[in-house]
Amino acid sequence: MATTIASLNITSTDLLSDALSLSAIATLTNAGSATGVTQTTGLARKKTESTSLYILYDRSALSMPAASAHKIYIKNLSTTAAEFVTITVAGEELGRLYAGDWAFFPWSAHDDANDISITPSVSSALTIEHMLFFES
Amino acid sequence: MATTASLTLASADIAGDPVSVSKTATLTKAGTINDLDQSTGLNRVHLRSTTNKTLLTANTEGNDLAAKVYIINKATDSSLYVTVTINAQTVGKLYAGNFMFIPWSQTDTAAAIEVAATNWTSSTGDIPVEYALFHEDTDFLTNA
Repeated sequence: MATTIASLNITSTDLLSDALSLSAIATLTNAGSATGVTQTTGLARKKTESTSLYILYDRSALSMPAASAHKIYIKNLSTTAAEFVTITVAGEELGRLYAGDWAFFPWSAHDDANDISITPSVSSALTIEHMLFFES
Repeated sequence: MATTASLTLASADIAGDPVSVSKTATLTKAGTINDLDQSTGLNRVHLRSTTNKTLLTANTEGNDLAAKVYIINKATDSSLYVTVTINAQTVGKLYAGNFMFIPWSQTDTAAAIEVAATNWTSSTGDIPVEYALFHEDTDFLTNA
């Protein structure tokens, strides 16, 4: 069993009239158990050069249980504020990652159509990093 | 004004070499370096229904604007999870202690973020969920 920890901190000294400090720590485990996830794709980097759809995680090509506790991390490494990638889950738009933004979310991977994809806003070179933690 | 979100992913033993990813994002308005300036604050609801409940109602004025959503399942029973959906598409399951932080497009009014305590029963007890939205100028209603 592996131990993988995800930690989140959201802070602001001036968004509200009082300081905001929000923290969460999660141990990434298999669905419904205390057993840590044991599989990862490792940190990957993808350079895009078109505004076409890029499939980051092709559900049908991955050997993994459906409807489990998989987790995905994606970051847009662009430094140009206007450049974004749109994340979709099975074709449904989740949101836009602008330059420097990251996302971390669970992935059900419930059927073969449940791919995780991105669509860049620009056809010039744009780089993202991504990683999947999953059950075996 | 600046609101930052930092994520660390760390494991000493999930791979042959340690995994250590640490990233910080400053939450800005779409396509600019201007900071996001509005938030719902941290909300807490107790779910006791296996059917979807709307956590954040989509507002089409928010389409093409920047919005970030944080959701955490505060249950302590590892078997209890909430299913998160957008426009009826299941994104994933948040098990006890799990959190997510995502951008949210609000492409149309159907793009609400919904949650369901999918394996809740009257004997499991409520599943507490906390969430916050950071966004640009538009109105939001919550009715979980």
